[in-house]
Amino acid sequence: MSSKRRWTWLLTALALAAGVSMMVAAYGVAASKSTKAPQHSQKAVGTLRAVIDTIDFLDPQQAYTGQSWWAMWNVYETLLTYKHVDGPAGYQLVPGLAQSLPTISNNGRVYKFKLRKGIRYSNGKALKASDFKWAIKRGFLATGQGVGFYTDIAGAKKYSQHPTKSGNISGIITNNKKRTIVIKLAKPRGDFLTILALMFAAPVPASTSTAILNGKIPGTGPYRFSAFDANRGFTMVRNKYFKKTKYIPRGTPNKIDVALIGDANAAVQRVINGQADYTNAAIPPDRIASVKSKGKLVLRQTANTYYFWMNIREAPFNKLKVRQAVNYAIDRGALQRIVWGGLGQATQNVLPPTYPSYRKLKLYSHNVAKAKQLINQAGAKNAKVTVWTRQVSDAVDAAQYYTSVLNTIGLDAKLNVLPRATYYSTVGNVATHAQTGWARWLEDYPHPLDWFDVLLNGNRITDTDNNNYAWYSNKKTNSAIESLKKAQVLTPAVNGRWATVEKQIMQQAPWAPWSNRVFPEFFSKKMGCIHTQRLYGIDAIRLCRK
Amino acid sequence: MAEPATDLTLDSAALLASEEHEVAIVGRSPWYLAWRRLRRNYFALFSLCVFVLIVACCAMAPLYARHIAHTGPNEVHAGEKVKVDGKLTPVVGGGSFYDAKTNRFVVRAPAYLGPTWWHADGRFVLGTDNLGRDVAVRLLYGGLNSLKIGIGSALICTFVAVVLALLAGYYGGWLDWIITRSFDLIWAFPVLLLAIALGSALSINGFHHFGISIEPGSLWIPTLVISYVLIPYVGRPVRGQVLSLREKEFVEAAIGGGAGPLRIMFSDLLPNIASTVLVFFTLIIANNILTEAGLSFLGAGVRLPDPSWGNLIASGQDQIQTAPWLALVPGIAIVLTVLSLNIFGDGLRDALDPRAKVRMEH
Repeated sequence: MSSKRRWTWLLTALALAAGVSMMVAAYGVAASKSTKAPQHSQKAVGTLRAVIDTIDFLDPQQAYTGQSWWAMWNVYETLLTYKHVDGPAGYQLVPGLAQSLPTISNNGRVYKFKLRKGIRYSNGKALKASDFKWAIKRGFLATGQGVGFYTDIAGAKKYSQHPTKSGNISGIITNNKKRTIVIKLAKPRGDFLTILALMFAAPVPASTSTAILNGKIPGTGPYRFSAFDANRGFTMVRNKYFKKTKYIPRGTPNKIDVALIGDANAAVQRVINGQADYTNAAIPPDRIASVKSKGKLVLRQTANTYYFWMNIREAPFNKLKVRQAVNYAIDRGALQRIVWGGLGQATQNVLPPTYPSYRKLKLYSHNVAKAKQLINQAGAKNAKVTVWTRQVSDAVDAAQYYTSVLNTIGLDAKLNVLPRATYYSTVGNVATHAQTGWARWLEDYPHPLDWFDVLLNGNRITDTDNNNYAWYSNKKTNSAIESLKKAQVLTPAVNGRWATVEKQIMQQAPWAPWSNRVFPEFFSKKMGCIHTQRLYGIDAIRLCRK
Repeated sequence: MAEPATDLTLDSAALLASEEHEVAIVGRSPWYLAWRRLRRNYFALFSLCVFVLIVACCAMAPLYARHIAHTGPNEVHAGEKVKVDGKLTPVVGGGSFYDAKTNRFVVRAPAYLGPTWWHADGRFVLGTDNLGRDVAVRLLYGGLNSLKIGIGSALICTFVAVVLALLAGYYGGWLDWIITRSFDLIWAFPVLLLAIALGSALSINGFHHFGISIEPGSLWIPTLVISYVLIPYVGRPVRGQVLSLREKEFVEAAIGGGAGPLRIMFSDLLPNIASTVLVFFTLIIANNILTEAGLSFLGAGVRLPDPSWGNLIASGQDQIQTAPWLALVPGIAIVLTVLSLNIFGDGLRDALDPRAKVRMEH
């Protein structure tokens, strides 16, 4: 080797070493300091600069992510909506476009609404009652992601088979002059009011095309989209035609600039640097303690449950003892630390604790010896198991732990990590014969049916795109869910019945629920009042500066 | 006066002639000459020793795991405590927690057990990751996997590339055209992108065609993917050499002597390109280890929870602040391995053929 080349190698090695050292130095751990929130006087925000990780669509009939709904909630109004308040009251349904709450027939099938007077879209045109019908039809015509929620409207199933612009959904009767909307259901559905409050049912002008129109459809809310770039972000400005109501305030920011940045560290750094006021970025657990002194960290409790499902049709999980063994074997407390540095609450429930139907279950205390014993009793020792998860770091960490636990109790488990985009459709396909895996559920709307009916009602199992990954079907549970579907109001008695259903399910252990996660939201120090709406998250239009 | 003893006589002249003849006829093989040159290159030899040491350490991973660390590479110990200097310490401690009294979360950084440096009876020598797995055990197993893939793919890639290069260079014509265009086709894609695409596609369902069945988590997937994408990088330069050797007199002589194509390719041409192939083989191992690390880092190589140096870095980057060793240790292992192989490869090239310009380019 020539001396020149030798020097080149030495220099390369030195450069590498220097690079590594700089990397370490750059990430130096900052000592965390706890500070008390100072007293402040409230000031209007002016322009709110937010950074969020991603959105799917900004089209009300298409969007189906929390981030999209977070923005769209202030642009598109629905017949009913939720209060802009903090705490449990945020779950309360209140009139949105409707003048008041609807009248409901005794059989729970007919809903009558009357729209508020003088509502205008952000383009100045008047809202018509028939626009609601067009929004539902548009969902079917554009095969929107939420059409499944509206198939119980009379005539909707028939319409969905051959949707046309001129076709009719017989169960929606509108009168533009009287501003009335009558909705008839094919069968009663206790969660229908909450379904009407979903973004999918937000009226859009009848002239709106069925193509996906991100950020281009006028809405009736306090803001409108003024710019949209799929890669960079979007901007919301005030809708000059909006008139505030008892439940929908005008909003404090004049403008909301939203940047889309997928890298959590970069998003957080923007807030620390003063380039942004707020981010919902998933801050890595080990960075949370160090960033909290550099801004305002808000831990937002949302309705979510993270769980491992066990396919009761596939061996060895077709045996109750194996499913119970898994529930005993999981150390739920350790999992919170492993996966998100402790920012979650251990759970054995299907429902999150934010629900009035929630009754804390304590069926399975952590007991590995008992789990091993149950596996032996079930004759499942060394049974081959494939654990499925998706390529997202928290899901992979949880599934790695889960795989290790299954091996510890005597099963022969291996992990299969699928790309994020194809995970749910793969494990939700009967042909995959997926045995067990990771999943989570974030509420669409605050009603137990959004959990039990969607995720654990055996009557709703489908061969493809099935949400019931455990393929759980139990006659007793199914009939209880069907019966509770008819209950129009969540009275204490109804909540009690839901709690019984939940206990029945967890005694059969098709799931091993393990966490109700809390999400960190990070604000700059300049932000004053911070408000959280239980369903939609940070209430952007009620924020203020110091 | 007596004749001086040094005077030449017929006998001494003959003796001298025979000695000279002996010196002249005792030839040194090119391999011996190469070894003589190589053994003077201490830096290259030191690098070889480093590489052999790394291979030996990784090969002993199962022994270390079973008899010293008492844990497997994928065993999770998150909820456990371990005695460090006689004091019980949680494997994964700290972290935020919910305070039922205040109904609020107390935010704290998680604390992973750092390197214990033999103060815990051989357990967690290099600390733990966020799941409480022994980093030293995972590092050794990860190295074993990385080396298996690196060396395995280098063997396959070199073998296929040399065979194709010999066929293309010797026969020329349409066969050369087809082989060269195939090389061009693969060459047209950026190596890592093509490898990611193939690795990701195969990692979902594995490969089950032509009577070959490879399961999704198999190490054969990254091995074959890396072999495939790097074939032209070895094949093209070797083909160029074969093309030039094809016109040499010794080949014409062999043809004149009635030797068949296979004999010429493998008995006459192959030994003449052997030194180039050997250097390529050494350099490509380093290159393949890097490619594997890149693939595994991006989730398209070795499947979790099985470790490789690439996926260890990927897993460690989320804990870079609280547990920097998780990403640094496998990173250093990759740097040492690749550096030692490259330095040795360079030394080998200088020893075998100092005029050669063999290097990996892509």
